[in-house]
Formats: sequence, structure tokens, C-alpha cells
Amino acid sequence: MDESRPIFVQIAEQIENDIIGGALAEETQVPSTNEFAAFYRINPATALKGVNLLVDEGILYKKRGIGMFVADGAQGRLVTKRRDQFRAEFVRPLLMEAAKLGITSTQLSDMIRKEEQQ
Amino acid sequence: MTTATETQFRAAGPAGRILNVVRLNVANPWTTIIMPWLILGIIFLANLTIWWIIFNSVGADNVADVSDGLQYSGASTWIFVYMTVVAIQAINLTFPFALGYGVTRRDFWLGSSVTFVLLSAMYAVGMTILSVIEETTNGWGLGGHMFTAVFFGDTWLQRLFIYFVAFLFFFFFGAAIATVYVRWRANGVTLFFVVLAALLIAGAAVLTLTGNWQVIGDFFARTGLVGSFAWSLVITVISGFAGYLILRRATPKN
Amino acid sequence: MTAVIEVTGLSKTFGSIRAVDDVSFTVEENKIYGLLGRNGAGKTTLMQLLTGQDFAMKGDIRVFGESPVENAHVLQRISFIKESQRYPDDFRVKHVFKSAPWFFANWDAEFAERLIGDFRLPLNQRIKKLSRGQLSSIGVIVGLASRAPLTFFDEPYLGLDAVARQTFYDRLLEDYAQNPRTVILSTHLIDEVANLLEHVLVIDQGRIIIDQDAESLRGTATAVVGVATAVDAFVGTREVIHRDRVGGLASVTIAGLDATERAAASAAGLELTPVSLQQLIIRRTNTSEREFEQSA
Repeated sequence: MDESRPIFVQIAEQIENDIIGGALAEETQVPSTNEFAAFYRINPATALKGVNLLVDEGILYKKRGIGMFVADGAQGRLVTKRRDQFRAEFVRPLLMEAAKLGITSTQLSDMIRKEEQQ
Repeated sequence: MTTATETQFRAAGPAGRILNVVRLNVANPWTTIIMPWLILGIIFLANLTIWWIIFNSVGADNVADVSDGLQYSGASTWIFVYMTVVAIQAINLTFPFALGYGVTRRDFWLGSSVTFVLLSAMYAVGMTILSVIEETTNGWGLGGHMFTAVFFGDTWLQRLFIYFVAFLFFFFFGAAIATVYVRWRANGVTLFFVVLAALLIAGAAVLTLTGNWQVIGDFFARTGLVGSFAWSLVITVISGFAGYLILRRATPKN
Repeated sequence: MTAVIEVTGLSKTFGSIRAVDDVSFTVEENKIYGLLGRNGAGKTTLMQLLTGQDFAMKGDIRVFGESPVENAHVLQRISFIKESQRYPDDFRVKHVFKSAPWFFANWDAEFAERLIGDFRLPLNQRIKKLSRGQLSSIGVIVGLASRAPLTFFDEPYLGLDAVARQTFYDRLLEDYAQNPRTVILSTHLIDEVANLLEHVLVIDQGRIIIDQDAESLRGTATAVVGVATAVDAFVGTREVIHRDRVGGLASVTIAGLDATERAAASAAGLELTPVSLQQLIIRRTNTSEREFEQSA
């Protein structure tokens, strides 16, 4: 676990990663809060907070008396969300830095292509 | 949330709590029950051997004289000292442990008192039975005295009483001393014995100066053996109350 | 949420030492609390006061709504095996597990047996002859298997190896999830247990200096590292928790930063490093890290 950020946020991200990666398919049940707590060795209240974060976002939903399930279309929505984040966290600073160094967007895409070929 | 805990939890009543302390005190019966009888048995066998040797060396004619001498045997007095140690350990070590189990000081003292009374009764009855056998077999056929030593009384009833009262005294006096230690550590015990010794010396001085030693002698002559032992109950009862009052404000230290 | 413990203005002094100094806090039901601080900070005294083993000089203690002193109704719901717990002289390990069920109404014998196996406790061994770690595991097992509504663990893992400590955390979480109860974990080794805690109480020189939700405490501090002049310029008038200086370099711990402040810091060529709970407490209690770890 990363020390600088709240654990429940990291738990939510872990679950999101599993949904994006397909380990947790849509309409399947996710492990219980207590199972998450035991697996990550964290307080169950913290795990619940992480799960609730995803419930609030509509990624998970509760089936009464059974447990938590991955919502229909959750994977697609998460990918969209992560792409937005990617743009904000990586692409924007990349362009800013490039502008500072006088790199044009054509040069930048060339660099990316070259990097891919290696 | 509260109701869930309440319903889930079965609390023990006062009698149950005190009984639990009794069980805790004898959780390892080896120390409080088996070991003392075992030692008593070994000492008895050793004595039996000695009596047998004496019996064979002095010849049948002089056995009665020797038997009179054996009346002053102190072979079974160690058991009272042993029980003092049992009482001290109970207060010094079982007490802090019992608090960890959520026992109150009051319940601990009451439970330990019940333990002391029960153990006193068991040993008094057991030793009285042995004394009766000793008596009826004329000293195990060898004129020996271990349970019928002269200071334990003349009849089985007297012996039962004296044994019982003596055990109670050693248990409660030992326990009371231990409470002084638990509450005020070594300094407290030292002070206690200094004060006790000072009082005894002062008493002796007063008696000597006023030439009143005779009064003490008369007192014991008048009250007799059984009566004198009965008077020890005063100290036993005082120890019982004092011990509780001291322990009530004691905190186990490490 | 129901309060299991309510303490107001509690003080206890030993001679001139203020072991517990005008302390007030509440403990809510069914949460895992960390009672953290250096050795000698007042943790054990505080727990002894809460369990009626010691007597307050000032202030008020309510446990399950009542005073715990000589109160069987309250004390029967508490399990508190001290780190320095003394046992009857003649006790073997088995005698502890024979007697514990008499005193804990919720005792789970099967669970205890499983734990005895987990920790490889020799039942026939005399308690006097146990190693430090084995002694700790007795406290851990009694604390877990007693399922007392209020359970204290006092430095539960002194002498336990890494495997045994993990076993303790796993069993605690597992059993706590199934049988929620109020747990107070007292320790000076914070990093390992940080993630288990829901709430943190930090005691230093008899005073509670942190009383906060564990999650909100996380990320409340950041260390700003860089050239001293740049660091000082960035820190400005912010509250400084801790300051270290080596030559021209400085490392200053300040309250957590938001995204724009972080961006400003990196623009100024400063490095930001996260501060763990343990580091945060060390810095708040003004102790050197080495001193802290050696205070056991």
C-alpha cells in the first residue's frame, strides 16, 4: 500500500483494475468486504469505505442478502474514466513540457512512434 | 449495536464468580492438593522407618517410654508453613492474573477465603482421620506419633478443631502479609515486621518491668490448649478483614 | 454509534511523574483502536485505569456507562492480558486455557485450540520457562478467544517473529469481521498495525496528542525535501511538524498539500515524500526514529 494516499481509495482502485482487466466480470459477485479486509490486511471499515466509493459511482451494486455485484457497463465506464484521467495526468503535462522545450506536436508523435518500435 | 452485545453476553452471578476464583486457585491441583499429601506421605514413611529402628533397638519393654518422647514430634508442622506459602503465592501472583481475567478485588478475596477454608477443612479432616488410625493402631504398631503429637490435643474432636483453626491461621495470616507486599512492596512488609517486633518487645518489656509474666502463664493455663488455639481465630479474622481492606486499593505492579 | 469508553479530565500521577495528564476521549463500539506512543508514554497506566486495576486521581471514567472500579458487571466484559502479565507460579500453559473459559462468557474453545496450534504453544510447558514470544502468544490467544466485548492487546507481539505476527493480524481481522467488538491495540511499533486500525489515539507524556480517524490521519503530513532556502520559501508560514537539516538541504514535515500546492512544490524543484503513520507520530512526539524503536 502507498503511504501517502487513503487506503480506501487504493482499495477502490484495486477493484477498478480488476474490473478493467476482466478479472471481475460484469454481473458477477465481488468478494465481501471482510474478504477484501482479510486479503489486504486492512480494517474492514476501511474496505467497506472503498467498496462504497464504487457503489456511489454506480460501478458496484448491492443485491439484498447476497452481496455486491459488478454493474452492467461498469468496465466501459471505468475505461472512459481512466482515459480522462490519463489525459489529465499524463498527456497534459507531456504537452506542457513539450511546449517548454519547443517540441512540435508532429515531432512529439514521431517520438512516440519511435518509442513504440523499440 | 448495544443490544446485540447485551443478548450475546451471559454474565455470571456473584456466587458463580466467587466459585470461579476458587477454581482458579486450585487450577493446578498438584500444588495445593497432591504435592502436600505426597510430602506428608514421604515424611510418614521416613518416620515409620525411624520408629521401626528405635522399636527394634530398645526392645519391647521400653517402647512405652520412647512413645512418650515421640509425642513431641514436629513431623507434620511443616505443612502449615507450606500452606502459608500457598496463601502468599495466591495473593502475590494469582491476584494480578485474576484481575486480567476481569475479576474484582472483592470477588478475588472472597473466593480465595473460601479456598482457604475448604483447603483447611480438607487437611484437618484428612489428618484427623490419620490421627485416629494412629491412635487405634497404637502408633502404627510401633508407638509412633505423627498426627497425635501432644500439641494437637487429646481427642479426635480436639485435633480436628486444632488442625482446622491452625490451618486457617496460617492461610489468612500469610495472605494478609502478602497483601501488604502487593500494595506497598518490600518496604511495606519490612515496616510491618518492624512495627510487629517493636510491639512484641514493648509488650515483653512491660510484662518484665511490672513482673506480670505470670499473668500470661496463668492465661494459657486457664484457657488450655484448645482455648488457646481458639484465641488464634481472633488474629485469623482480623487478618481476613485487614487483607481485604489492603487489597481493595492495591494495583498489581510488574 | 454507542460509546464504550468515555473519559473526561482523567489524571494519574506517580510522585512527580504525570503518567496520565488531564486526558479526555471516547471509544466507540465495535471499532479497532490503536493506542500508540512510546514506552513510558502512559499507555499501560491508561489501560490499567480503564480496567479498574489502577485508581484515578482526578476525572471520570465510564466503561459501558459505569465506573469500572470493582464493578463486576463491567469487568466481566473486558479482556486485558498485560504485556508484563504475571501468572501463578505453578501454572503451565494448559492451566491458562483451562481457567480462561470460567471467566469469559464468550470464550470459544475451538478457536483457542486452533490458535494454540497456529502459534505452536507447548501446553505442558511451565509459564516461567516460556520465551518472550511464547508469552506474548498466550496474551494474544486469550485476547482473541475470549471474544470479550472490550478487548485490550498490550504490546501483543513483543518477541513474536514475522510469521506469528502475520498470523495474529490475520486471525484478528478474520474473527473481528465475524464477531465485531471493541479492540484496543496498544503498541509502539506502529507501521505494521497501521492498516488494521480504524481510529488512532496517540499518547505522549501522559497526554493524548492525536485522536483521529486512521484514514483521515493518513496523508495529513508531507515531507518537503530540497535546498534549504527553497524549502523555507515554500513552507512560509505553514505549521511545521518537524524540521531536519543536513548542510544546505532541508526536510520539513508540514500538513498535507492539495494538488495545486503539490504542483507548486514540484515547480519549485522540491521533492515531496509521503509520511507514514509511524513517522508522523515520531515527528509529532519529537523523538528520533532510533530512540523510538529502541524504547521497547
